[in-house]
Amino acid sequence: MKHRKLINTILIVMAIGIVIIVARDFVVNRSGKNIENPYAFDVSEYAKVDSSEIIYQEEKVLQLKVDEPKGIDFYNEAIYVIADSSLLKLNQQGQLLQEIQLGDEPTAIDAGPQVWLAFKNQIVCIDENGKELQRWPDFGPRSVVTSLAVSPEYVYVADAGNRLVYQFSRDGKLIREIGAKDEQKAVPGFIIPSPYFDVDLNEEGYLWAVDPGRHSLENFNADGSLRTSWTISSVKTEGFSGCCNPAHMAIMSEDKFVTSEKGIVRVKIYDQHGEYLGVVATANQFNEVSHAPDVCVSDDGKVILLDFDRKQVRLFNPKESD
Amino acid sequence: MDRKEFIEKSLRLGVLTGIIGGSVFLIKRNKIDFTCSVDGVCKSCSLFTGCDLDKAKQSRNDERKKDSKQTNRREFIQKGMRLTLGASLAGVAGFAALKVSADDYVWQLDPFKCVYCGRCADYCVVTPSAVKCVHAFDLCGYCDLCGGYLKPDANARSTAAENQLCPTAAIKRKFVEDPYFEYEIDEELCIGCAKCVEGCTSFGNGSLHLQVRHDLCVNCNECSIARVCPADAFERVPASQPYKIKGDFTNKDDNNKPA
Repeated sequence: MKHRKLINTILIVMAIGIVIIVARDFVVNRSGKNIENPYAFDVSEYAKVDSSEIIYQEEKVLQLKVDEPKGIDFYNEAIYVIADSSLLKLNQQGQLLQEIQLGDEPTAIDAGPQVWLAFKNQIVCIDENGKELQRWPDFGPRSVVTSLAVSPEYVYVADAGNRLVYQFSRDGKLIREIGAKDEQKAVPGFIIPSPYFDVDLNEEGYLWAVDPGRHSLENFNADGSLRTSWTISSVKTEGFSGCCNPAHMAIMSEDKFVTSEKGIVRVKIYDQHGEYLGVVATANQFNEVSHAPDVCVSDDGKVILLDFDRKQVRLFNPKESD
Repeated sequence: MDRKEFIEKSLRLGVLTGIIGGSVFLIKRNKIDFTCSVDGVCKSCSLFTGCDLDKAKQSRNDERKKDSKQTNRREFIQKGMRLTLGASLAGVAGFAALKVSADDYVWQLDPFKCVYCGRCADYCVVTPSAVKCVHAFDLCGYCDLCGGYLKPDANARSTAAENQLCPTAAIKRKFVEDPYFEYEIDEELCIGCAKCVEGCTSFGNGSLHLQVRHDLCVNCNECSIARVCPADAFERVPASQPYKIKGDFTNKDDNNKPA
């Protein structure tokens, strides 16, 4: 009898133990519970930025009522945004000044006295009222035009599909292809792993093109030879990381570069020699999963971003120095 | 058609067959036989109601009913049994026919929901895991600097072990032409930890992603990885389209082929 009681007690304790273990396993291992990842690769570590490096602050956000913003530029105190199949002209207060229907979805814009637009593999020039002035024949099925830069003499077209920059006269005559691998001209050839390939002109009218696969910015002479370049490949804030960065670029006064990166999304500023100056916007100022914002600069030194995910135009001002 | 829908349809079919069979039986059972064998002509019409023939037939029917009450009950039970058996067989046949025509289902994970938590490596009942990294070559940039292959702070872009992100060196880097490299997964070494997937998605085009390999998966009723997946990325997919490969994810003609 005594033994029987003891055995029963042991069995009950064991049963309770089993129930506790099963319940604990059920609760702890349920999806959504925090189970430590032994293979963790903490990318967020690389996104951290020291606050002293942030030299701009967000001044204003303009919400766009569009489905798919595509590109941005600034000219004559107005912000030009291409979105869906429209061209929007806004002032810096967010007031819509003009909307032009384009009939197709543009991929790139350069705003000036005339507005130049790219449509995947075509170039179109329109006047300020939207009247089509020029339409050039398409560049073929491989072509993916991602950026335009227009000088008084030339139109530079960045074609990510063919990994070339085309130099056209303003009336559509192809003058040369820039960026094809050429050892005589010391041109290494662009590496474009994804459709991010930006170009811009500096104050003297020289072409700068991003070589995203090399984390480089390359400067070309008018004859297509390489003039200079700079590269910073690093996972640290001052460098570019990932397969294809910077994704977007704009040149501001004093030939400083504003760069926008994908992967770890951030916007930074470099001087004319490629020296890192600081950060405009850090990764935590964008959505957790976000695209690299398109960038342009205003005449008074504002950095203007087109946030593709939030569908916003975001204006950043330099922080006032202490 | 998913499993739930399939079971519902089978049950509906079984119940419907039972109802139809039962109704036919009841109608037959309650039917009164007015056929008169006199001259082979039925006299039991409204014109002859109350006639001698009719009265005789009524009384004969009443007597027969009384006499055969026991017999009818037995027949009723027999017929009922037969009908039940028939309905059951019809139900099973319908169920089997549906099962033959319907797809089987297998587990697969949606690479766009995956959050690279590492649980695919540790929670699969198969060791090493049946979840492997696959490579969507059409999305890959073939970069020298591959975020899925190299550690972010690698001291060189080389195949040296200390520069590789993969804990089992399951990614093979092959030179294609300057400056392009191809990356292939050695599935025997891959443990499905998703470290490379996170690297590729964070720094590259996201061409590396996880998939359940069906030559290895034992297709458990309740996938033990799905149970702990924090992103609910696991789902049942038709066995005829068992993969969700990035790149041709939306191409329905070709989404059953592994990369």
